[in-house]
Amino acid sequence: MFERFTKGARAVVTGAVTEAERTASPRITDEHMLLALLDSQGTRSAFAFASLGILDRRASVEAGLADARRRGGMTQADTAALAEIGIDVERIVSKVEQTHGEGAMGAGGTAKRGWTSHRKFTPAAKKTLEQSLRVALGRGDKEISDGHILLALTARPGVVSDVLADHGGTYGAVERALFGEPG
Amino acid sequence: MTDATDLAERAGDRDPRVGLRAVAALRRLLEQLEAVQVRSARNQGWSWQEIAAQLGVSRQAVHKKYGRQ
Repeated sequence: MFERFTKGARAVVTGAVTEAERTASPRITDEHMLLALLDSQGTRSAFAFASLGILDRRASVEAGLADARRRGGMTQADTAALAEIGIDVERIVSKVEQTHGEGAMGAGGTAKRGWTSHRKFTPAAKKTLEQSLRVALGRGDKEISDGHILLALTARPGVVSDVLADHGGTYGAVERALFGEPG
Repeated sequence: MTDATDLAERAGDRDPRVGLRAVAALRRLLEQLEAVQVRSARNQGWSWQEIAAQLGVSRQAVHKKYGRQ
């Protein structure tokens, strides 16, 4: 699959690794790929971010990601769904933080392995890369570009697509910004 | 407007999607809480056996899930 990646797409993957190293994260996640995409310049996804106004709101995107991380990766949709059945996620997170310290829910289980240099992609991040292949195939494109990775991120339910959607980056909007009006 | 709020607005209370989504979210919340508690117990020197007994699962199950971290 990786032999089909364009230079831009490869830069996203290596950028995600760098991002994970910079933040001492034990695994490479969808978040790291999004941050790498936001860093890319002169690419189709950079153009899409600019036209959607997301590039100017990078701080807000990062805050949204941090907020979700604090809730242990619970998305806004998760939080809303739980509120429907009477569960207040924010209250639970606060309670956990009182006992176990700030950010305890988002701490992940592998912090102790921060010294290892070899980091793996999370299963979810691998699925995103697989999805980017499907997105490319679905569009009849022979190569997988950074744009396909971005579109894959918006297509998969989770924190990253939630935060992107909150900033106007829904699947449809991103698809239009990347490739113009469909069909 | 996000797809999630779209969905919430379209979906009535009897829409199975609302309930199923809550269950899926609850599962994710459970996983997070379990990880926090297991980590805390390990930090306090609890054995896998003790943790497993409290969670009502086998020692192997806990160890397989959290042991290599």
